[in-house]
Amino acid sequence: MKHKVSHKDIAKPAEVLCPLAVTDLDPVPGHEEKPFKPAKADWKEKYDLSLDGFSALALTPPATKEAEEELVNKFLRGLEKLFSQESNWTFMQPTSLSTDYCVRCNTCNDACPVYVESGRQDIYRPNYRSELLRKIYQRYFTPEGRLLGSFVGADVELNWRTIYRLAELTYRCTICRRCAATCPVGVDNGLMNRELRKIFSQELGIAAEGVHKGGTMRHLQTGSTTGMTPAAFLDTIEFIEDDIEERIGRRIKIPIDKKGADVLLIHNAGEYVSWPENPAAFAILLDAAGIDWTLSSESMGYEGVNYGTWYDDFQFARVAVAQVQAAKKLGVRRIVVGECGHATKALVEIADRVCVGELAIPREGCLPLLEQIVTSGAIKFDPAKNNFPVTLHDPCNMVRLMGIVSPQRNVLKAITPPGCFREMPNAGIMNYCCGGGSGFAVMNSMNFPEWRDSVASRMKAKQVLEAFKDCLDPSIPKYYCAPCSNCKGAARDALMEYYGFRDKYNIIYGGLVELMVNAMVDIEKPFISWEDEF
Amino acid sequence: MGDTLSWLIAGPFMYLAVIVFVAATLKKVITIASMPRHLRWDLYPIAHEGPAGSVFQKVEFWKQPRHVSLAHELAEMAEEIFLLKRTFLHNRRMWNFSYPMHAGFYLVIGWIGLVKFGAIMELITGLKISGASTAFWAQALNLATVVAGAVGLAIGLYGCLGLLWMRYTDEDLKGYSSPVTFLNLYLLIALFGVGLAAWLIEDPSFVLARGYAVSLYTFKPIALPPMMTLEVLLFGIFLIYLPFSRMLHFAAKYFFYHNIMWDDEPVVAGGGLDKTIGGYLHYKAQWSAPHLKSGDSWLEQATTNPAKPKEEGK
Repeated sequence: MKHKVSHKDIAKPAEVLCPLAVTDLDPVPGHEEKPFKPAKADWKEKYDLSLDGFSALALTPPATKEAEEELVNKFLRGLEKLFSQESNWTFMQPTSLSTDYCVRCNTCNDACPVYVESGRQDIYRPNYRSELLRKIYQRYFTPEGRLLGSFVGADVELNWRTIYRLAELTYRCTICRRCAATCPVGVDNGLMNRELRKIFSQELGIAAEGVHKGGTMRHLQTGSTTGMTPAAFLDTIEFIEDDIEERIGRRIKIPIDKKGADVLLIHNAGEYVSWPENPAAFAILLDAAGIDWTLSSESMGYEGVNYGTWYDDFQFARVAVAQVQAAKKLGVRRIVVGECGHATKALVEIADRVCVGELAIPREGCLPLLEQIVTSGAIKFDPAKNNFPVTLHDPCNMVRLMGIVSPQRNVLKAITPPGCFREMPNAGIMNYCCGGGSGFAVMNSMNFPEWRDSVASRMKAKQVLEAFKDCLDPSIPKYYCAPCSNCKGAARDALMEYYGFRDKYNIIYGGLVELMVNAMVDIEKPFISWEDEF
Repeated sequence: MGDTLSWLIAGPFMYLAVIVFVAATLKKVITIASMPRHLRWDLYPIAHEGPAGSVFQKVEFWKQPRHVSLAHELAEMAEEIFLLKRTFLHNRRMWNFSYPMHAGFYLVIGWIGLVKFGAIMELITGLKISGASTAFWAQALNLATVVAGAVGLAIGLYGCLGLLWMRYTDEDLKGYSSPVTFLNLYLLIALFGVGLAAWLIEDPSFVLARGYAVSLYTFKPIALPPMMTLEVLLFGIFLIYLPFSRMLHFAAKYFFYHNIMWDDEPVVAGGGLDKTIGGYLHYKAQWSAPHLKSGDSWLEQATTNPAKPKEEGK
């Protein structure tokens, strides 16, 4: 069922503006839908769930009229700052252009997996929230909006409901920017969503706990978003060395804090906690390829993520600067970011105009290096060892937003037998988000994960099923290769748990390096197993 | 009285409209162009990188020469401008009307150019350009002018009517169509429609239009027949209104593509961009969330840790 919600409705009282039900969603073949769990009674009492019945932010409605007025005023002050050169030089030009020149053709709509899979709900249109921003901006800050009001579209009332629902709405978009790739003019609703998140974070102090308090703040406090301190990191490395010895029969000494190394490898620290076989596989490959590399035990030097990418320019800059400073301290020649999409984009691309002057140390993603390892012949691979169907997920940040398309494919073609690697529909630049983008993979408060897994990851589930449609029989083991930590998080929570792909179809997920090590001639035991729990 | 009014519209008003259009468009473009360089926000494929694709696919990409192919960029731009490639690929239903409307504009712009060129040729050669001209070039120019004008006006009108129909009937588009959206379409429909009527009724070979162009060039404006006067009035209004409307997206689009999606210029130590960004870091940011300090510079904010780090090992 489609719940019709106009822009004006955002300000109106309603228990739930768009009461989303599983029956509204586009069906996934072979998936038996279970109704959403009803929101707990105390949540309903305490928090605002009036957007779609879900909450990513746990916002408490203002208790008094004065508190509401203050909220409205703060929002307007924040909105004004988006268009200020001093306060928003970082994105003022793209924001101004996307505000002024959308022609409202709705071409972006069908590019959005959230909108399409939700049963095309109005509130999830990629341009719904951008249009709200425009309408509010026009009404309060432009002469034509003040004079002509609804004639020019400046017809949205600004109250606490508008603000809270808009805040929640900014966490219903994965900022995959697939919509921007289809816009005839070039308007970027993903950017507009991030700019809205900036108002909430940088002015109102509102952000999803997983990305701010439990994300960048914890990162800046402990050295990692996982809370892993440098001492804990060193313990983890020792554990990984033991694990490697057990897996390949010989011990590899993982270089730590090696001054002047060619490569400082920075992983998403979530790998150490959830998928230690990934940094282990990197260590095996770099060691075997004879690369002069190191990890850093410096606070911020062993954590590649930058959650500021998704919601806050200052937190972004703080993290990027600290990461680069850690590398400078070691005197390494270059930084290579491990298998993490947003971390790669953040440090290699976006931070290019943050880490200027003395901080301009060369930085790159890992996929070209992995391709070089394969093509250089430094390591012998036997593709026959990967004799099972493999499909590849294209992390939005690396592929659509950095153009890294061919290295990972060249690696897969070299390490799998002919016919085993198969693309999923829409592979490459126009691939769909895993559903964990823009922080979703690390946002686990209240009932948000249920929305994320059921709506945001739904298109990915369909893509994977389509890629493996000729071999869904569970007797055939299958590998979903996602060279990105957050995408793996989404695979774990949505594809494996929510949609049950592992149990139903014998599909497992993992990174690219695990497949590479699995194909190494020098290693006898398989590195990948369908029996082990990753 | 009629001639005086027509003269006022065709002469002083049209000069004013052109001046306002040029000045306001320039002001808008300069305003956009002078906004600060933003953080990188690339969207791939980047046309000027050509078939080799993103430089990020190379090991130690910073050692590679930056591939900037103007030819590839122009080819992509031409597809987007002249064929509306993205609309064709992702919104075919709208393309069916949007393309004729845009093609109509291009042809009408071409027609204006041909009329003006014809006017200049008449001034230079003293020859009247028409289907009865003795010179071949004059006949060809006349034919091209008639075809461009007539076809441009007709398909432009068709496209605008189609878009109007979509805006009225498509449930999805209705919610994104404010009164000003309809005003824009009605203005364009009037512009194309009256232009078509003026051509059919008053000036089938565009001889009057050419004469009008000559009069503007020589600063001796003339009065026009009623339909042509109305068309000139609408065109003047359109020119004055255009820079202040979202229809200026034709100019903004350049910045969307070149300055945002395709802006992959790397920072080179000591280079111009390095210095520019270094300057921005001294801007005072006024954001006031608890983890920020309003009034501090970007440099101060970026090097401040709002979460006091724990000492190592504790």
